[in-house]
Amino acid sequence: MTLAVQAEQLVKTYGGRGGVVEAVRGVDLQVAEGEIFGFLGPNGAGKSTTVRMLTTLMTITSGTASVAGIDIAAHPDAARKKIGVALQEAGLDPRQTGRELVVLQGRLFGLSRTEAEKRAATLLELVDMVDAADRRIKGYSGGMKRRLDLASALVHEPDVLFLDEPTTGLDPASRITIWDELRRINEQGTTIFLTTQYLEEADHLCDRLAIIDGGLIVREGTPAELKSELRQRKNLDQDPTLDEVFLDATGRSRERGAGDVQEVQG
Amino acid sequence: MNGIWVLGKRALREALRTPEALLPTLFIPLFFLVVNVGQAAKLFPSAKTPFLEGQNYAAFQLPSSILLAASFGSAALYLVEEIEGGYFDKLRATPTSRASLVLGRLVAEAAKNVAITTIMVLLALPFGVRIASGPLGFLILLILSASWAVVYSGFMQLIALKSRSAAATNSGGLIFFPLLFLTPSLVPREDLSRPMEIAASLNPVTYIMEGMRALILQESAWGVIGWGFAVVLISGLVMVALNVRAIRRYD
Repeated sequence: MTLAVQAEQLVKTYGGRGGVVEAVRGVDLQVAEGEIFGFLGPNGAGKSTTVRMLTTLMTITSGTASVAGIDIAAHPDAARKKIGVALQEAGLDPRQTGRELVVLQGRLFGLSRTEAEKRAATLLELVDMVDAADRRIKGYSGGMKRRLDLASALVHEPDVLFLDEPTTGLDPASRITIWDELRRINEQGTTIFLTTQYLEEADHLCDRLAIIDGGLIVREGTPAELKSELRQRKNLDQDPTLDEVFLDATGRSRERGAGDVQEVQG
Repeated sequence: MNGIWVLGKRALREALRTPEALLPTLFIPLFFLVVNVGQAAKLFPSAKTPFLEGQNYAAFQLPSSILLAASFGSAALYLVEEIEGGYFDKLRATPTSRASLVLGRLVAEAAKNVAITTIMVLLALPFGVRIASGPLGFLILLILSASWAVVYSGFMQLIALKSRSAAATNSGGLIFFPLLFLTPSLVPREDLSRPMEIAASLNPVTYIMEGMRALILQESAWGVIGWGFAVVLISGLVMVALNVRAIRRYD
């Protein structure tokens, strides 16, 4: 099996006024090429911190990680060429038009102006943004921003696409549109690593899942495997939902909410 | 270089699309010029004031306003907005050089300042102000002013990168006002009181202001101009180096 993402004993600690916080405490991950991999966990579990380390946006305290076979700590620039990133909240420059943003992104990935313009036209069509492409981003809806963010993350044809909560805050129709686009992108050979709070999304989209809690991976497998394991362990009559797997894995209940750990953003 | 160029062009486009942020950069320094000249011009008639070199008091005051305009750069405010909004991470996720992420905006600030300084000088011409050092002197004035814009915007960007806070970055901009007041902005350095003269001599902005003033009032005071350039060059190199270091350590 060729690995698109591999992490061994990944650790991230922060020193702050209140002492040292261990956000990620030794994560091991293996994502095969061509997979859609879901990374789940409660708020503050270490999802975003792990993604930020894997996308070179944050230094690794200890452990190793590689993306598309490239050690991200030793060769961050080479790794960035293989990675597409769409982070939470779709932070985009509101003063640019959609087209300008995608072209700029292409130029920063080393494409010539002509290549970047051509690629932008293709991607804007792929995410159904042609009509709005020459309007400024500040007028876009949340769903349009997410689709544009996706397009800009694909401009250099990355091997691995990292998506941090790509559908959070979107209405159901926009969410389904994003799912369709992700499937289409994946069918073209791009490995997708996504974090999500929506278990239905993970169940629907992902080939395999890992659940992180308290900075450690607590479950890993296909959705079917995870459900089957819980069914057998708890002697259930039928397969549980992924929600139940999640609650079991994280020790959460409907009484005990998530978010005991404050996740630190870079 | 490609990264600096494309990010610099984007920053210029951004400035042109937000004229409401750009216009005060021009009007506030011009307002100070008019007010200062209105208040003190009668005290310094050109015929009886040797330090004016035959020009009027507006010519003496113009460098203060040019420096003020050069210190109104918006690079850091846009940068901190991008940091807070998350777009900066998108840029950091590209393989473009870390340095270009900060230098692109500084290059754009220099270009914007060239335009603003040119407009200020053109607006001053009908009021009798002349660039005594000629077209070459005007070109040097533009370089000096644009270089100071890079220094000051670099300083502001440093605050933005370290604090990641719009409030802290805004407050940092206020530092310029004491620096501007601790200069021989109203009279030459030798006419200041002794404590003020010492303070002005320790203030790097003084040398840049005197360099600009020499270009406007005198034909070839190269020694004074040289000091101005030395100060702006050293502080520019320090500021660019600190910016590049900050972005490389950004986590």
